[in-house]
Amino acid sequence: MTFDELKEYISANYPDDMTLLDTGRCEPFYEVKAEKLVAVCKRLRDDEQLKFDYFCNLGGVDTGERMEAVYSLASYSMKLRLDLKVILPHENAEIDSVQEVWPAANWYERELWELYGVNVKNHNNLTRFLLPDDWDQGFPMRKDWDAPDFIRMPEL
Amino acid sequence: MGVIKKLPIYTEKLPGGGLILTSLETVINQAQAKSLWYLLFGTACCAIELMCTGASRYDFDRLGMIFRATPRQADLIIAAGTITKKMAPRLRRLYDQMAEPRRVIAMGGCTIKGGPFYYDSYSVEKGIDHIVPVDMYIPGCPPRPESLLEGCIHLQEKIKKQKLSDWQEK
Amino acid sequence: MAELRTEEFTVNMGPHHPSTHGVCRLILTLSGEKVIKIVPVIGYLHRALEKICENRTYAQCIPVMDRFEYVTAMSCEYLFSNAAEKLAEIEVPERAEYLRVIMLELNRIASHLIFYGVTAMDIGALTPFLYGLREREGIIDLFEMTCGQRLTYNYIRIGGVSKDIPPQFEPKCRETIKTIREKLNDYEGLLNENPIWLVRNKGIGVLPADLGIAYGVSGPVLRASGVKYDIRKDDPYSIYDRFDFEIPTRENGDCYDRYLLRLDEIKQSLNIVEQALDALPEGDIKAKVSPNFKPPAGEVYARVENSRGELGVYIQSDGGKKPLRVKMRGGSFNQLQVLPEIGTDCLVADLVAIFASLDIILPEVDR
Repeated sequence: MTFDELKEYISANYPDDMTLLDTGRCEPFYEVKAEKLVAVCKRLRDDEQLKFDYFCNLGGVDTGERMEAVYSLASYSMKLRLDLKVILPHENAEIDSVQEVWPAANWYERELWELYGVNVKNHNNLTRFLLPDDWDQGFPMRKDWDAPDFIRMPEL
Repeated sequence: MGVIKKLPIYTEKLPGGGLILTSLETVINQAQAKSLWYLLFGTACCAIELMCTGASRYDFDRLGMIFRATPRQADLIIAAGTITKKMAPRLRRLYDQMAEPRRVIAMGGCTIKGGPFYYDSYSVEKGIDHIVPVDMYIPGCPPRPESLLEGCIHLQEKIKKQKLSDWQEK
Repeated sequence: MAELRTEEFTVNMGPHHPSTHGVCRLILTLSGEKVIKIVPVIGYLHRALEKICENRTYAQCIPVMDRFEYVTAMSCEYLFSNAAEKLAEIEVPERAEYLRVIMLELNRIASHLIFYGVTAMDIGALTPFLYGLREREGIIDLFEMTCGQRLTYNYIRIGGVSKDIPPQFEPKCRETIKTIREKLNDYEGLLNENPIWLVRNKGIGVLPADLGIAYGVSGPVLRASGVKYDIRKDDPYSIYDRFDFEIPTRENGDCYDRYLLRLDEIKQSLNIVEQALDALPEGDIKAKVSPNFKPPAGEVYARVENSRGELGVYIQSDGGKKPLRVKMRGGSFNQLQVLPEIGTDCLVADLVAIFASLDIILPEVDR
């Protein structure tokens, strides 16, 4: 299945759930509403034509005004690639955990919570693991984060 | 007699042989300098160069340096790689577990002043010299095995020059 | 006689432990010699590479990417350059692509040679370590004569490569390939049928294919479990579709198969390097890319197959000279997640063998 066929297939089968974003040049990026995320992911994984059983990556993005969570998926057997994006508010963002769909998401979601402060609901172990245990300086990957010993590179 | 001839020049042979007159300081310094066993403490990129130095081509053993996996048997920490804020207390603890006399080599830019992670990093310790006292700094990112060897030779020279009275006070 | 009281015992392994290839802490709950629970604690090498990349220009990000996965630094450079090229739609000259493939594959061999040495050392055999790193030096010499660095190269740039190879590269490279081919027989002779090696590795740490898929495991670890998935073939990047090579797989998914598979991969990589050397065209080595390179706004997730599985990077650009977000993904992150699943109910000594055979390195996990 080529990318164009994938786009057609998704627009035919997932018309209400996924919206194509005009950002990706190479691979399709789709926006998914936060409340539909787990259901869509489950469908994508179980779909006989797609079989997105490979959870590649989950990254948070802080654009300054809003939070985004970008899920990169692939399929071992069908050799497909797809990216999903969930747009969240900047403060008090909440997202459902997809670890029941892909267990691999567990650590990625912990990281999302730890570095961006996005609360992951229904996660079985939302604890600190990258930062020191006694860390109390907030969420360092946010754009507006600052600390006394944080030195920014001077502009050249 | 062949062995005694090979001994360093500052030993004096007494008439009749069998006895060597030298200072206690020299004996201790020689012993320390020629058997620096280092703790395997590789955290990041420099650890690969440390491994290469220990392996076939560069052969660390010829300086009398053999790796040890436990701090109790080590004389020297080669801090090879970035020390983060989470790792810093562990480095201090390993240093405290070593027996005196103990020495530290800071290998690579990260351990000297944060290296490439000085700017914009929230989690990297900017230099290890405020965690443990450092004897020798080896710059580079990562330093070549040759520079590590040279650093170790300099450290041996430094040990050979130490005065017994100095380290009694410590 | 009164019954002996037994209780579970908690042991801390790491963060400074010689067999953890870096700084990883495992909290083990033991019942006698048997491991009944593993809790990995990571973050001892969390250097905030992603935050640093957000405050660097695209060209300045490449040296930072080198430190993301320093054992195969060429893959990281290629990955970032490839993602930036996809964003800005830059055409890379033919010769540069060939040079990139040569470097990527040599780097993969170098990484597998480290695996060979270090894994054997963890299990208690010191000699393979000296052998593996001896042959690796030959490859490092090739890198050094090309770009002057031994480990963190900064060689593959956006739009091409930084320097052309010197004239003595090709004969030296062919000689190195020949040496490694010969020495591989020695390697196999040392360990493949060594009774101690077999007892320590065969049937230990079996990773079933479905468990590996659920945890997103990739690379040699997954292929040793029988899943034929290699990004070089299944989602081809660069010019890999022009070369003739096999994707080796194994069936059992234990430590021994993972070891054998990596030796097979070295042979395939040697073939690719030879083919690339034969077909190396003349021409430019770098497309014109301005130092103030500003890709248009957009986002991309690029991935390559390195020696530890899928290496991925997600870049979001807002049209400025610095990326808005760089998210790195290393294969070891998922491999370490699966360790508690396959390491439970084995002995502590076997855990060391499993950890070594997964070939986890910690900068990829912690970033």
